[in-house]
Amino acid sequence: MLKKKICMVGQFGVGKTSLVRRFVESIFDERYLTTIGVKIDRKDVTVGSESVTLMLWDLAGEDDLAQLNVSHLRGASGYILVVDGCRAASLNKAVELQRRIAGQLGPLPFVLVLNKADLRDRWEVQDTAVAEHGWPTFETSAKAGSGVEEMFLALAGKLLQ
Amino acid sequence: MNLLTALGFAVFERSGEASFRLLGPAPHWLPAGSVTEAFPFLEVFLPDAEEFWADRGARTALYSDLWTQGGATGDELHFCAIAVAGERKLLLIECAEQRFQQARSFVQYAHEASLAREQIAKLTQAKTEFLARMSHEIRTPMNALLGMVELLSETPLNDEQRKYLQVFQRAGDNLLNVINDILDFSKVEAGQIDLENIEFDLAQVIQEAIEIAAVRARAKGLALVNRIQPNVPTLLIGDPGRLRQILLNLLGNATKFTDRGELTVLVETDSDQPVPGALHFAVSDTGIGIPADRLSTIFDSFSQADASTTRKYGGTGLGLAISKRFVELMGGKIWAESKPGAGSTMHFTARFSVADAPKPVAEGSAPVVIRNRGLRILLADDSEENRFLIRGYLKDSGCIIDEVENGAEAVEQFKQRAYDIVLLDAEMPVLDGYSATREIRALGATPIFLLTAHALREARARSFEAGCTDHLTKPIKKATLLEAINKAVPAASVSDRIHVPVEAWLKPVVGGYLEKRRGDVRKLRAALDCSDYDTIRMLGHQMCGTGGGYGFEPITEIGSALEESALASDSARMRASIEDLDRYLNNIQVE
Ligand SMILES: Nc1nc2c(ncn2[C@@H]2O[C@H](COP(=O)(O)OP(=O)(O)OP(=O)(O)O)[C@@H](O)[C@H]2O)c(=O)[nH]1
Ligand SMILES: [Mg+2]
Repeated sequence: MLKKKICMVGQFGVGKTSLVRRFVESIFDERYLTTIGVKIDRKDVTVGSESVTLMLWDLAGEDDLAQLNVSHLRGASGYILVVDGCRAASLNKAVELQRRIAGQLGPLPFVLVLNKADLRDRWEVQDTAVAEHGWPTFETSAKAGSGVEEMFLALAGKLLQ
Repeated sequence: MNLLTALGFAVFERSGEASFRLLGPAPHWLPAGSVTEAFPFLEVFLPDAEEFWADRGARTALYSDLWTQGGATGDELHFCAIAVAGERKLLLIECAEQRFQQARSFVQYAHEASLAREQIAKLTQAKTEFLARMSHEIRTPMNALLGMVELLSETPLNDEQRKYLQVFQRAGDNLLNVINDILDFSKVEAGQIDLENIEFDLAQVIQEAIEIAAVRARAKGLALVNRIQPNVPTLLIGDPGRLRQILLNLLGNATKFTDRGELTVLVETDSDQPVPGALHFAVSDTGIGIPADRLSTIFDSFSQADASTTRKYGGTGLGLAISKRFVELMGGKIWAESKPGAGSTMHFTARFSVADAPKPVAEGSAPVVIRNRGLRILLADDSEENRFLIRGYLKDSGCIIDEVENGAEAVEQFKQRAYDIVLLDAEMPVLDGYSATREIRALGATPIFLLTAHALREARARSFEAGCTDHLTKPIKKATLLEAINKAVPAASVSDRIHVPVEAWLKPVVGGYLEKRRGDVRKLRAALDCSDYDTIRMLGHQMCGTGGGYGFEPITEIGSALEESALASDSARMRASIEDLDRYLNNIQVE
């Protein structure tokens, strides 16, 4: 079966692992267990008439101590830039990561995800600041489950085009 | 190989182009299939491993990052790949549970701490905004409340009522202190404190702090001693308000924890910093002391030596934390020394600039009465309570007050006639105080005071930008208002002034002495109204004994007249003496 590698990138604690977990296992955990290195999961999906195995590479979030290892994106068909809507700084981080990835790997399909939509009344990220980039953008809640599947399937669809 | 398996390694040898052969037994965690099928992570590691096997340089092994995936049993496991250099190209896959847990506990801690810091910063921000708003909301009615109490205390009251009123006043003052502490602390926390940089007289600041602290210290029978070493420069540039606040905090604490003995304030040059203006202050008491293990934490927020202390002695426990921040902003440090049972000393250092030339001696404006009688004042405030309050403050001053309820009416009224002073509330309907100031300023140079409930520096800036003469923060004390008016309106006629020379060393206390006598005038009037001749006799007796000592012979004379007439129950003569005293106090000019 066709395999596509998709990477989750973003600042630490934005919900990358939780999004994958929601998508693959349909569960959510309030507890925060930070990812070390890479966490790899797989999920078979059908897009239109085509079946594909998504290899989901959940990369450790970037922090002040450790930078994203861009070589982990080698062979990826696309990636997901995850932002925590409650932390304005995580959007800046996503913008910075996108620039670095494009700089090293050339243009790769990606989507921007504003996560924690269940906490929308506490969001700091401004719509205008997001719109400025003109990137395909999804709002998700790993907690409530909203938007998660749509987002993964939309990217998968784009990778199959 | 069994040893390696036991240690959690699976060992593969690179046998051909991208094909790997397992050496030794298969560990139970090894997923089925080829190594590259079993471990998708290898797709990013093998290119690096190939490069390493081809040219290993000085290294003996190349480690991959850790990764997490399902193992043979479906559980999540943590792995690491190691390319080993040598004759044979060996690839080790380590089931690295322990290393993973160690790495994670470290990173987890860093991330949680970082998230907590962000959260705290956000909460602090929100709290500061909330507190600034609350301080506004609380200070405005507090202004009205405390003002009313001040006015009420000037009316005839019986003993019981007076006692209730004192409790009211004390509770109100305490509440205001708490509010101010919280406001200060939140500003300190949010880094919103900027120090003032103005010229001031160190001796005066210390004297003021001591005078305030003395009220409570004396009530407990404590002596207050003040020693400024002769080589300390007294004319400095810095933030006198904050310095006074530090001293008051330290003196307040010393008073709280001391039951007998004395409090000392010592100022000397800072021997560790031989630059002019670097000073060392020490506030000592003979109180219960501080246990050795608490000495280093008492300057942390909310840390009185003991939570039970807060209950017993009251206070927010923020005073020392605020003082610490102020001291640090002044380029100094604060620390404590103590012998439990024998007393404590709070030390702090601070750096000031030394002012060049002594200022010309200020006018003797300490006694606060309106110098000029018959001033015409325009007052605009939409709150009836506030207008009532100001009216009350000015009621004995002989001023004529015209009241309006908003800025637009104020501007209209101002066009109708000439005023000596304009008092504008900052927040009013129709036209606010700032806009009204601008319009009135365009019409003339009359002194304008803006009254606001905002203590923050930005509010002052905004007022001055609008062109006001001065900015008064609510709750406004009577003395502050009167002083401001005196400052703004030049003395009309000097002819009826009584000039009294006062010896230099007495000057710092003369203001307070005269202010107390002014308070006596009120008490005397009240006592006369209810035929309380005992009080009049007693007050007269006190004046008689003290006036001359300060150089105010007439006060001694009036005092003795009061004492005599009270004994004789001669109310007409008492009334005349009280008026004499009032007139004398109003016209006195200290030199
Ligand atoms: N309310 C809410 N919380 C979420 C959501 N997604 C994730 N979280 C919580 O956010 C925290 C971090 O989630 P993770 O999925 O571990 O974040 P991550 O991006 O993988 O973090 P790193 O692995 O450290 O880079 C956890 O406590 C989650 O429970 C969401 O949609 N809503
Ligand atoms: Mg994660």
